[in-house]
Amino acid sequence: MSTRIVVDPITRIEGHLRIEADIENGKIKDAYSSGTMVRLLEEILKGRDPRDAWAYVGRVCGVCTSIHSLTSVRAVEDALDIVIPPNAEIVRNIMFCAQYMHDHVVHFYHLHAMDWVDVVNALKADPKKTSELAQSISSWPKSSPGYFSDLQKRITKFVESGQLGIFSNGYWGHPAYKLPAEVNLIGLAHYLEALEWQKEIVKVHAIFGGKNPHPNYLVGGMACSITTDDISGLNAERLAYVGQLLKQGKEFIEQVYIPDLMAIASFYKDWGAIGGGLGNYMSYGDLPWNGYRDTSSYKFPAGAILDKDISKIYDVDLRKDDEVQEFIDNSWYEYKEGDKKGLHPWKGESKIKYTGPKPPFANLNTAEKYSYLKTPRWKGHAMEVGPLARVLIGYARGHQEFKEVVDKALTDLNVPVAALFSTLGRTAARGLESILVSRWAQDFYQQLLENIKNGDTRMADSSKRDPSKWPSSAKGVGHSEAPRGALAHWINIENEKIANYQLVVPTTWNASPRDGKGQVSAYEAALRDTPIADPNKPVEILRTIHSFDPCLACAVHLYDENGNQISRVSVLGD
Amino acid sequence: MQNQNDPSQKILIMGVGNWLMRDEGVGVHAAEQLAHLDIKGVDVVDGGTGGFHLLEYFERYERIILVDATLDGLTPGTIRLIRPKYAQDYPPSMSTHDIGLKDLVCSIQLLGKQPDIHLFVVSIESVQEQGVTLTDKIKAIMPELLNKVIAQAATLRRELSQQRA
Repeated sequence: MSTRIVVDPITRIEGHLRIEADIENGKIKDAYSSGTMVRLLEEILKGRDPRDAWAYVGRVCGVCTSIHSLTSVRAVEDALDIVIPPNAEIVRNIMFCAQYMHDHVVHFYHLHAMDWVDVVNALKADPKKTSELAQSISSWPKSSPGYFSDLQKRITKFVESGQLGIFSNGYWGHPAYKLPAEVNLIGLAHYLEALEWQKEIVKVHAIFGGKNPHPNYLVGGMACSITTDDISGLNAERLAYVGQLLKQGKEFIEQVYIPDLMAIASFYKDWGAIGGGLGNYMSYGDLPWNGYRDTSSYKFPAGAILDKDISKIYDVDLRKDDEVQEFIDNSWYEYKEGDKKGLHPWKGESKIKYTGPKPPFANLNTAEKYSYLKTPRWKGHAMEVGPLARVLIGYARGHQEFKEVVDKALTDLNVPVAALFSTLGRTAARGLESILVSRWAQDFYQQLLENIKNGDTRMADSSKRDPSKWPSSAKGVGHSEAPRGALAHWINIENEKIANYQLVVPTTWNASPRDGKGQVSAYEAALRDTPIADPNKPVEILRTIHSFDPCLACAVHLYDENGNQISRVSVLGD
Repeated sequence: MQNQNDPSQKILIMGVGNWLMRDEGVGVHAAEQLAHLDIKGVDVVDGGTGGFHLLEYFERYERIILVDATLDGLTPGTIRLIRPKYAQDYPPSMSTHDIGLKDLVCSIQLLGKQPDIHLFVVSIESVQEQGVTLTDKIKAIMPELLNKVIAQAATLRRELSQQRA
C-alpha cells in the first residue's frame, strides 16, 4: 500500500509546479510532475511586430529575462536571414556569461544550499575550527575566527527574535542533514556574502542592456553603441567597469562557490547514486566564438546522449519535422487533428482545454491529463536538459576544458564517472560549468576590446529594419542554452506580423507529464526510487527537484491525505 | 548642498509585477506612467519580475514606495497602503511574483538593513488571465492610485527635508 504526498512549489516562469509522489516501503514508487498554471505567451504574441517579440518574452520572468529575449531575436534573425556584427555577438555572449554567473551562484546558495546546509545547526559551530576549515579549502580572505563568530552572533540574534524570515520553514534537524556544524556555518556565511555579491554582477546587464531587470535587445544586433565621447554609450570607463565585474565574478566562483560545493558534496556522496533518472541528455549548444551560425565554434557544444552512453553523440536538428515535437496526451490542451499526434513547434498549437479537478483539490487525477505543460520529445525520446546535459556533452565531445574540470572534481571527490548521473552530479555540473563560463567571460571581454582597438565599432545590422524588405512569409528558429537548459523559440512571420510563436523551454523538457507511450520526463524519472525518511518532511524530493533548478522562487506546500496543509517550506529562489 | 543624485536623498517608487498577466502587472503600468511625470526628487523603476535583481535598489534607497497587485479577496480595485516590517506582514498570495518581494525584504534584513517601505497594494481578481492590458476595473482606479503614490512621495520628501534641516 502506498501513500501519496503532494509537494506544491510555486514557480514564476511556468506558474505553479506541483509534485505528487507515491511512497512505498520508504521509497518513491512513482511521481507525477504538474504545471498547474496557464502560460499562453504564444497567444499574446500573435499579430504583433516580430521585432518587438523580445520585449514580451523578456517579461516571462525576472531571471530568464535576457535569455528569452536573446532567443527571440535569434529566431527573428533566422527567419529574416540577418547576420549580426561580431561586437553584438560578443556583447550578447558577455551578458549570457554574467547571467550564468549570477543565476548559478544564486541558485546554489539561495535555492538549493538549504536542502543540504542546516542553518540552525550552524549556530553550534566553533568559529575557530570553522576558520581553520575555511582557510584549508580556500584563499578567500573573509575567513577569520572573528568573522565567523560575529556572523554567528548576528544570526543567533535574528533567530532569537523569532524572525527567522527566509529560514523559518526549513526541515532543520532532519536526519538527512549530514554536514558538521562548521561546514554549515561556512555555507550560511557565504549565503549572505552571495547576496551582496549578486547585486554587482547583474550590473553588466544594465551597462549593455540599458536597464536591469529586463535589459534591451535588438533584432539585428544590440542597442548599445561603442563611443568615445557619448557619456551614455559604451566608453572606456564603462568597459573597464565591465572587466572589473567579470573578474570579481570569476573570483567569487573560484574562491567561494566551488570550494563550498566540493566541501558539501564530500559529505553527500550517497547522492551520487540517487536521482539519476532518464540518462538521456540534450544541449542545443551556445556561446559562439565565431558567430551564431558557426555551431562548431560554440563553447557549449550541441548534441544528444542516449542511455548514459557517452561514447555516442547524436546531432540535433531543430528544423526537422520529426525531431523536436510536442505531445499533449497528458496536457490540458487540444490539437485540431486530435491529441495523439506530436507537433513540430512551427506547426505548434496552444489551445487550452482544462479537464482537471476544480481547485482547491487534494489530488490530481493522474490517470488522465494532469498538467499545463506539454510533453516535448526528441525523436520520441524524453530528454533531460540543463547543466548536467551540457557538461556531459562537452565531456563526451572531448573538449579539453570540460575534461579538465570534470576529471578534477571526480578525483577530488574520489567518485566514478557514473556518479555524474545523479542529483549530486547535476548540482556539481552547475558549479563546474560556472568555472568555465567565468573563464570564457574574460575571453569574450578581451575579444571585444581587440575588436574595438582594431576600429570595429559596428553593433547592429539595420539592412532589414524596414519590413517592406522582408519576404511575405518566413519562418525561423532561435536557440540558446538558458542556465537551466536548452531553450528554443520557433516563429512564423506572415505579412510582417507574427502568425505563430512557440516556446519550448527547459523546464518543459524536464518537468513535463509522461507521454502517450507512458514514458516519463526527467523530474518524474529522477524521483523514482528516491528514499524518503519521513513522508511529512520530504527534503529528499526537494534535493532532486532543486538540482534541476526549476525556474522558480518556490514556496512548497505540503498536504496530508485530507488535503490539509501540514507544513510549509519557503525556499528562496531566483 | 546635498548631491542631487544621492539615492539616500531621494524617494524610490518601484512598480513590480508581471506585465504579461493583465492586472498582475498593475505595478508596472503605474511605474510606466509615473516615470513620464518626471517628479522632482523621485526615481521611478519598473521592477517587473526582477526578484534578486532588485536587491541593489533596496540597499541604495532608504525610502521606498512599492506598488504591487494582491489577491487578498477584497473588491477588485481596492487600494491599501501597508507598512510591512517583516515578510509575514505582506498580504497573502501576492500573485505569481510574491516570493521575490518578500524574500528580498527578508534578505535585506539579514544583511542588517531596514529600508522604510511603503507598499501600495491593489486588489485584483485573478492572476490566471494573460494579456498586456489592464481590465476596466483596474484601469478605472489608476488615476486614484497614481495620486495616492504621488501624495505619499510628497510626504516622504517633506520628512526628508525636515530631517535634513
